[in-house]
Amino acid sequence: MPEIILKNISKKWGGFTAVENLDLVIEDGAFITLLGPSGCGKTTTLRMIAGLETPTSGEIIIDGKTVFSSDKGINISAAKRDVGFLFQNYALWPHMTVYQNIAFGLETLKWKKPDIEKRVKEMLETMQIEQFEKRYPAELSGGQQQRVAIARTLAPRPKVLFMDEPLSNLDAKLRGEMRTELKRLHADTGSTFVYVTHDQLEAMTMATKICLMKEGVLQQYDPPLKVYSYPANRFVADFVGNPTMNFIPAKVRKISETKADLELFGEKFVYTSKEKLEFADGDVTVGIRPEYLPISEEGEIAGQLKGSAYSTLPAGMETTVRIKVAGSLLSSVMFGSLDYKVDSDIYFTIQGSKILLFGTDGTRVASGSVRKVE
Amino acid sequence: MDSMMYNSLFGLHLKKGDMTFLNFTMLMLGKYSAEYSTSFFWKPLWNSIRMSTYSSLIALLVGGVIAWLITRTDIRYKKFISSVFVFPYIMPSWTLALVWKNVFANSQVGTGITGMLESLTGICVPSWFVYGIFPCSVVMGIHYAPFAYILIGGILRNMDANLEEAATILKADRWRIIRKVTLPIVLPALISTVLLVFSSTMASYAVPVFVGSPGDFYVMSTMLRSLYSSSYSGQSYVMTLVLVLIGIGMLALNQAVIGKRKSFTTVTGKSGQVSYIRLKGNKVISIVIVVLLFFMAIFPIISFALESLCEVQGDYSTFTLKYWISREEIGGFHVAVGKGILFNETILGALWGSIKLSAVVSLVVGTAGFLIGYGVSKNRGSKLATLLSNVAFFPYLIPSMAFGSIFLAVSTKLLFLRGTFLLLVLVASIKYLPFASRSGASAMMQLSGEIEEAAVIVGAPWRVRMTRILFPIQKSSFISGYLLPFVSCIRELSLFILLTSSGTLITTLLSYFDERNVVQMSNGINLLIILVVLIVNFTINKLTGASIDKGIGGN
Repeated sequence: MPEIILKNISKKWGGFTAVENLDLVIEDGAFITLLGPSGCGKTTTLRMIAGLETPTSGEIIIDGKTVFSSDKGINISAAKRDVGFLFQNYALWPHMTVYQNIAFGLETLKWKKPDIEKRVKEMLETMQIEQFEKRYPAELSGGQQQRVAIARTLAPRPKVLFMDEPLSNLDAKLRGEMRTELKRLHADTGSTFVYVTHDQLEAMTMATKICLMKEGVLQQYDPPLKVYSYPANRFVADFVGNPTMNFIPAKVRKISETKADLELFGEKFVYTSKEKLEFADGDVTVGIRPEYLPISEEGEIAGQLKGSAYSTLPAGMETTVRIKVAGSLLSSVMFGSLDYKVDSDIYFTIQGSKILLFGTDGTRVASGSVRKVE
Repeated sequence: MDSMMYNSLFGLHLKKGDMTFLNFTMLMLGKYSAEYSTSFFWKPLWNSIRMSTYSSLIALLVGGVIAWLITRTDIRYKKFISSVFVFPYIMPSWTLALVWKNVFANSQVGTGITGMLESLTGICVPSWFVYGIFPCSVVMGIHYAPFAYILIGGILRNMDANLEEAATILKADRWRIIRKVTLPIVLPALISTVLLVFSSTMASYAVPVFVGSPGDFYVMSTMLRSLYSSSYSGQSYVMTLVLVLIGIGMLALNQAVIGKRKSFTTVTGKSGQVSYIRLKGNKVISIVIVVLLFFMAIFPIISFALESLCEVQGDYSTFTLKYWISREEIGGFHVAVGKGILFNETILGALWGSIKLSAVVSLVVGTAGFLIGYGVSKNRGSKLATLLSNVAFFPYLIPSMAFGSIFLAVSTKLLFLRGTFLLLVLVASIKYLPFASRSGASAMMQLSGEIEEAAVIVGAPWRVRMTRILFPIQKSSFISGYLLPFVSCIRELSLFILLTSSGTLITTLLSYFDERNVVQMSNGINLLIILVVLIVNFTINKLTGASIDKGIGGN
């Protein structure tokens, strides 16, 4: 199984930098998602690894073999990199039938005819599209085309599979189903998957590791839950999670190695971290996930804060409540269906040990818990 | 005239107005003699077919390769190549024919004029190289190559690059990708190109007159003209009919081929990132192309300028400005030439006539095209819309010469039209209208209906919606719809040559001087036409972004 290593990769178009000094190690059999807003360089990165785009500088090693190196002048073509690529719009050849589309790669590899037939049959069965064998792509629905594209990509058994937003053209329901199937496919094939998406939910649910990028620069490269709970900076914290994290301006003053005084919503708190606090006193931003702001009845528990209901968005299984407090608008997510009258009083607490502090430059400086000073 | 001839030939008593098939049997079936039919009908027909086949293949090859290089590789000087490459199509078709003559004519061949090649190097190329099917095919092929480039390039540009990349990932080599993926997808455009170039070449008159006839190489159109001017008008109409039938056949073939491949047209790409193929020997290829383009597009202008400045053809020591600026009658020819071009009332009058005609025609046709396009886009997918896109090419396929001769026949019955400016406007409008309405429709189709509906909601009347919303949005496409008929009309010869006297239009005047070997004048006039066309084209292009490619339906 191959390992993919990117060393100091950059891509520039004229004065525009698409990807800047990217270092990345993609382990064997990993399912990596390249995540970020549009224009962040994720597709460019994928295409550079696949060999469809030439980096301006750096080095790419796949399975111990250098496939690109600007210093050594190596640039192995996409055809020789032994990879599979699933395109966003499937790129099925309109003049070939489903069978011909899937068989193309095998014919190119000069497989014997019976072997090709056997493999195509196998792929048709796996993807459950046997009945469309003789149809043309234009005669298939989006989901069926998607399956054909996957079959075509997997037929030659690539060791690495690249996917460029393969689900973005499907409707919500089908997208959910395909996510399950892709994850299953990853387990079954044991191949290395590299997956580009701008949908943080897709990245969260499928990947073994998320590579989050912004304006061509790597922000964080970690397993999904780590990215979620311990984002490297405010951008990552904001990009991952829905509803998004609450950011509240605050003032902080250290009182010991792991404790600090915190002034938030005009109230006093004590902040406690497991790690040593290493930042200057003064302005910070507190980051709190909506699930750490539970709502409770007045006086039900200690440490309550008071706000007013701005709007309530019940979704059945959970409810998002927007709370107005001291000039800020917060999101709180509660399990079950709730409904609050607009502008009615709401009492809530700050819970958990994953309350984050961000410095003035946006990097995360601490994670810990808060206790209100009564 | 015909009837008197037939009476004396075959001992008949036909009167004017009698119905007879003699024109057919004599011309096609050897009623007079087998030799007559062969040399006046079958041989020209065969020549026409061969010439058209060769030129469509040349156009396809040259245009297709350039289109591929521009859209798919990292070839250099793209901007220069793509803008200069359309010159040969913008310029009159005979431009290159005249250049060919100017360069390759030599003392051993034909009228014995000394060409540039001979006077510079002393080399005399053989007769088949100067006159006949070879130069005709090459010149027509190059003239229509930009047309192929625009049609094929448009499809390549719109084609999703992922389709080719998907094949690369599956380890297909460059040649296999072209063969298995690219070619099949552009096939409909290739076939349309071949058929259109084939029919256009079949219909062309000027090129075979310039580099065919002097070598006794006659094709349908040149024979048609010569039969007509020798007063065998009945037989010339037979030829017209045959040309029209061939045009219809081509159209039917085009529909049959494209109709079957409907699924192809659904390919429109959205992949933003296209990586160009790295060409081996990029520098050499780029330079070769630029040099060839120089000879195809820029050299003609220089050549015409030079030829119009030489007292003795090919002898550059006999430089004179006489043919441009003389205020006295220029003598020394067996026809009256008049004053130098810049002071010659006939030439300036004809130029003005051409500009006037082209302006009127482009106004009529462009506006009608815009409105028809609007009507069609309002009824997307209706029978009318389908019909329109189907017949759009038709008048284009009917040879101009045949078209002209049909109107000539009509005008002999409607005497008030005969030889008038109105007749010319009418003929040209009908000829160019379908193409304009097609480009108008395609521009309109690109606008979603909601854009106009949004204006309807706020109560904007129709006139305001047209002038303030629809036209401005697709301005460059619509203005291209005006530009294309203007350019086509001002350089049109064969459509008008039967309908008007030589002094009315600049092109007919050019033909007059050329036929009488007044080389300096014909070169000078040619330069004048090219300059007018190029200046109009570039001014409008710079001011509005409109261009010939948009008029044809490229991007």
